[in-house]
Amino acid sequence: MEGNKPQLIIDGKRTDGRGFDELRPIKIEANILKNANGSAYIEWGNNKILAAVYGPKEALPKHTADPTMAIIKSRYTMAPFSSLEEHGRSGPNRRATEISKVTSEVFENIIMREMFPGTEIDIFIEVLQSDGGTRAAGITVASVALAAAGIPMYDLPYAVSAGKIGDQMVLDLNKIEDNYSDADIPMAISPRNGDILLLQMDGSITKEDFSTAYSMVKKAGATISKIQKDALKAPYEKIIEKYR
Amino acid sequence: MNRIIVPGEVIAEKEIRMPYTYTEGGKTYSTVLGIYEAEHSSIIPLEGLWSPNRDDDVVGIVEEDKGSVYIVDLNSPYTGVIISKFSQTELAPGDVIYAKVKEFDEKKEVILMHPRKLYGGKIINVKPSKVPRIIGNKNTMLNELIQGSKSNIIVGMNGMLWVKGGDVALATEAILKIQEEAHTQGLTDRIKKMFEKTGV
Repeated sequence: MEGNKPQLIIDGKRTDGRGFDELRPIKIEANILKNANGSAYIEWGNNKILAAVYGPKEALPKHTADPTMAIIKSRYTMAPFSSLEEHGRSGPNRRATEISKVTSEVFENIIMREMFPGTEIDIFIEVLQSDGGTRAAGITVASVALAAAGIPMYDLPYAVSAGKIGDQMVLDLNKIEDNYSDADIPMAISPRNGDILLLQMDGSITKEDFSTAYSMVKKAGATISKIQKDALKAPYEKIIEKYR
Repeated sequence: MNRIIVPGEVIAEKEIRMPYTYTEGGKTYSTVLGIYEAEHSSIIPLEGLWSPNRDDDVVGIVEEDKGSVYIVDLNSPYTGVIISKFSQTELAPGDVIYAKVKEFDEKKEVILMHPRKLYGGKIINVKPSKVPRIIGNKNTMLNELIQGSKSNIIVGMNGMLWVKGGDVALATEAILKIQEEAHTQGLTDRIKKMFEKTGV
């Protein structure tokens, strides 16, 4: 592995020409599926992800229901054609189960669950095309879909990954960087107060590296939050504009 | 000035109690995607489910006859229940009913009272968050709909509407237009114009 590791940083630029703390271009569109209570679609670099939200509805099977609050069921899947390699391709596997679980936990802390006792809220995240950082993009788009479904939430969380290439901390790793980097740290943040809702890590970093990563993520968060909010407002503003 | 707000957006720099918000650390935050009206200092949610209140009128479909109770589908996370011995009319699965909410209990069952059977007609499902707009201020919008289409229209707060007679297609079109444009100004006038143009 060590021998044929590609050079990820050339002349202070990354493989796709980005700077160290630069995001890939992000585009979000809300309310695109008619049958779902809320939905959204994101294009984050080469990632293309669709999210749909159903509920709150009666929790089934009944024994999973919590009589004091709603339960969150997330389902993260990658389409069989989503990836260039075998990575994450074949249906529900260990990786998809893990991501579904951590996504549920992010939203359990954000949705006002006590308002809907005995019900469930389903979040579906379908990766159509993947290029690294899909769990972060999935959480970002799912929070737009939840807001579009009118589900009361404390905040509109976003997620993005930070990483370490050599001695350099970088933001928003793509597939190649993810495979050969020294560390990959996806984070989900509640922008209102900077609370960390998701923190995972591959590889190893120092304490100082983490502070750098966190501040990079927070700085990028302002951009991501704005894109999320604009996506939610756009369909309504379009109709307002029509009759001005 | 009205503006569109999203969950987690700061509404005020002080703690105010109002629906669809929460307070933390001396600030008031929104919990929903909605429209904030600064002059009334209130929030109108743009999306969302019906949360049952006492005396709400609802339209539903009888799902099951359990002997002592009827189970009613209300197109919401909560099921409606009619206690058979308090119901003057005999009901059967498939019947469309119009009833009032008597109680919303801790088991999250909606107890209904005074059910009335509705015969024939058509059911239109709309987003429950748009129902107040379909009724309008002092029933203005609903009167406009009934006059314009010459239909019988019964509105359930749960987002189910029953339409019969007159020009049902035109009424449906108008209702869906209201749902689509609920957050815009001068909608009643546009609906009025729409009826004038097509005319029944």
